[in-house]
Amino acid sequence: MTAKLAAMHGLAIKKFGTPAAIAAVLGADDAEIAKALGEAVAAGEVIAARGAFMLTPAGQAALAADYRGRFADLRGNAAFVAAYGRFEALNSELKQLMTDWQTLEVAGETLPNDHSNKEHDDRAIDRLGDLQERAEAVLSAMAAALPRLARYRHRLDAALAKAEEGAIEFVSGAKIDSYHTVWFELHEDLLRLLGRKRNE
Amino acid sequence: MRICCVSWAVSAMSKSDRLIVAVLDGGLLPDRALVGGKAWSIAHMRALGLPVPPALVITTEACRVYHQCGGELPAGLFDKLMESLAYLERETGRRFGGASRPLLVSVRSGAAVSMPGMMDTVLNLGINDEAERALAAELGNPGFARDTHRRFCEMFARIVLRGGPGDLDPSATPLQWRQCIAATCGRTIPDDPYEQLRLTVKSVFESWNGRRARRYRQHHGIPDDLGTAVTVQAMVFGNADDRSGTGVIFSRNPLSGANTPYGEYLPRAQGEDVVSGTANPHPLNRLTTDMPEVHRELLEAAATLERENGDVQDIEFTVERGRLFLLQSRAAKRSPAAAARIAIEMVAEGRLSRLEALSRLSAEQVRMLLRPYLVASEVEGAQILARGEAACPGAGVGLVVADADAAERAASTGESVILARPTTSPEDVHGMIAASGVITEQGGSTSHAAVVSRALGVPCVVGCGAGALAQLVGRTVTVDGGHGVVYAGALRVEHPRENDSPNLMRLAEWAAAHSPMRVYREGEAAPAPMVDLDTVPGGGVPERLGTILAGVRGAKGRVLASDAGIHAAVGAGLDFVVVPHVLPALLAAVAATRGADQSRVSEDKHGRHGQ
Repeated sequence: MTAKLAAMHGLAIKKFGTPAAIAAVLGADDAEIAKALGEAVAAGEVIAARGAFMLTPAGQAALAADYRGRFADLRGNAAFVAAYGRFEALNSELKQLMTDWQTLEVAGETLPNDHSNKEHDDRAIDRLGDLQERAEAVLSAMAAALPRLARYRHRLDAALAKAEEGAIEFVSGAKIDSYHTVWFELHEDLLRLLGRKRNE
Repeated sequence: MRICCVSWAVSAMSKSDRLIVAVLDGGLLPDRALVGGKAWSIAHMRALGLPVPPALVITTEACRVYHQCGGELPAGLFDKLMESLAYLERETGRRFGGASRPLLVSVRSGAAVSMPGMMDTVLNLGINDEAERALAAELGNPGFARDTHRRFCEMFARIVLRGGPGDLDPSATPLQWRQCIAATCGRTIPDDPYEQLRLTVKSVFESWNGRRARRYRQHHGIPDDLGTAVTVQAMVFGNADDRSGTGVIFSRNPLSGANTPYGEYLPRAQGEDVVSGTANPHPLNRLTTDMPEVHRELLEAAATLERENGDVQDIEFTVERGRLFLLQSRAAKRSPAAAARIAIEMVAEGRLSRLEALSRLSAEQVRMLLRPYLVASEVEGAQILARGEAACPGAGVGLVVADADAAERAASTGESVILARPTTSPEDVHGMIAASGVITEQGGSTSHAAVVSRALGVPCVVGCGAGALAQLVGRTVTVDGGHGVVYAGALRVEHPRENDSPNLMRLAEWAAAHSPMRVYREGEAAPAPMVDLDTVPGGGVPERLGTILAGVRGAKGRVLASDAGIHAAVGAGLDFVVVPHVLPALLAAVAATRGADQSRVSEDKHGRHGQ
């Protein structure tokens, strides 16, 4: 992938991204991403606003056209596609886990979790750690074909570690790199690589 | 407590007699550091004279020795374990590995401090083909015996063998289950119950050194040689006959907070039947006619445990042939309304000080009580535009927009918008942050849209159906996220006031007496000029408030609606803040003074040192 298209792919996942945020997703250098985005702006594929960037319709189209050729091998890689199948199974589990984390069953009624019950929260974080161990195996299998994906393993683990240390907003917080935020980005990344449609 | 000591031939250690296995018979209350939290709780209940299934504990000392020996269970431990199992056999009249009346046990890990990554519970250990036949004959219920066998195989494979096929086919035979597990795990489930137990104990000790447990200990400064204990407890059978069953009792109503025990009971059932929701339990008072003695004993136990533990209890119990057993007692989950009522009533009853009561209710719980809601009379005649699944409760009113960019643009001009999407992807998150409500066409209550909305506290309805939302773009609607309905027009939304609730007013009065700064409600006269944080660059970021508020006496602004904002204000030494609702700010301020932002850590440390 050219530096420009790589940066645009990162931007597709981290919309309204700053070069630093995109570099963190891709495991690249901030300055190189900023330079690549500058080229994309000149080509009319990206627009800049308040220090962040966003793809234009032309940029989206250029990216989609690029994916088809660039990831043809990956899409035909049986081991990668099989690992992706295991990821989808974990994804269903993750979404249920996040829902359990965000809700509290009190005598048969489902209430929003106000985080007043430590045992409930500890249990959910423990389950998340168990899921992370299985996700790591899947990510290692996928990283064998595309090494960049190993980044997600570390980002997910970093969010888990913060949650375990007591910063519980790192489970599902929407404005930070929480476990759910990173997972959501990973899912989007995989859907784009494989040319799949999100079903919900 | 009857103790078993054993001599160790471990050259590295000078002490020769070490307590490695103990029977929890209600005698001397054991040292929590030695037996772990779960065994301590069982011993405590027995010491109170409460009926608990008999149990033994393999101590944290055994765990230390296990790791010092390089991961080998010394033969001495197992001999002592078998002696202590004989106590469980005498108490239950059953035999571990017996061909009639077999004893099945649960095996749980338990350190003095709970930590992530420790081995989960294995239930029904001790079952094999022979025990299954014996149990089937004894209970006259071959289906249950088979099901118990299957659940054990699933748990053992997942937890001890660290793998396995997940769910086993209920119609297959135990031999087929074992073959299936051997094929996926590379190891098989032993038939010999003692071997099952040995592997499980090893697995608990190994989990002590798992990556997550080590990381947790390192972060919290917990010594690596603290060790975990293993609790082994007899299983009881709530499906033995018509005078058997299982249920749960709360010492007070966890939804309303009323000081009346509340619970459910399912006759002729095991705990799993209640959890899986395959049967409809009866209200607890059914026991008053079926087994009045048990009912009375249960109410007394609930009252005792609430008094002893100083908080509302949620107690799991089983009745076996008319005899009550308490399986677990813990602080009950409760609704925010119940939390407020219980805190106040326990002060009135002299069970809590006012300051303690304030720690039983969080700012977040009060915010939930004060969340705007739809007025029922308005909803009745309103036109329904779409229906879906309720994903995040709350009422949101606004103009429907079709994409995240439009949502953000409109919201930046002060317009209230509802974001309507077929599904949501990470690209939509910035629009969801800006919106007053989110509605989607596809996906259920666990979809990403639902998860993100709940994280943001934005009312959300998901799964309204393909093509259901496009026609709503440009219209003003009201989203009822608690019931999964989208109404036409702007329905009236009621904003609850603290002044209308005597409970909240009283708590605010108590909190004000302990708060390090004064908190004024908007519209009340504040004593001095103040900084409006909404107009200061960086005034919405709690981490930056320290600098912004240096030398300032008072402040207002949206950031003060969060715990982090109030903590920053307290940290900056403000004299006062002005906020829409005073109680959440007061509770957060009181919590800041006791360092409740680190409560999770300090609670654990307290648990460890306070034995």
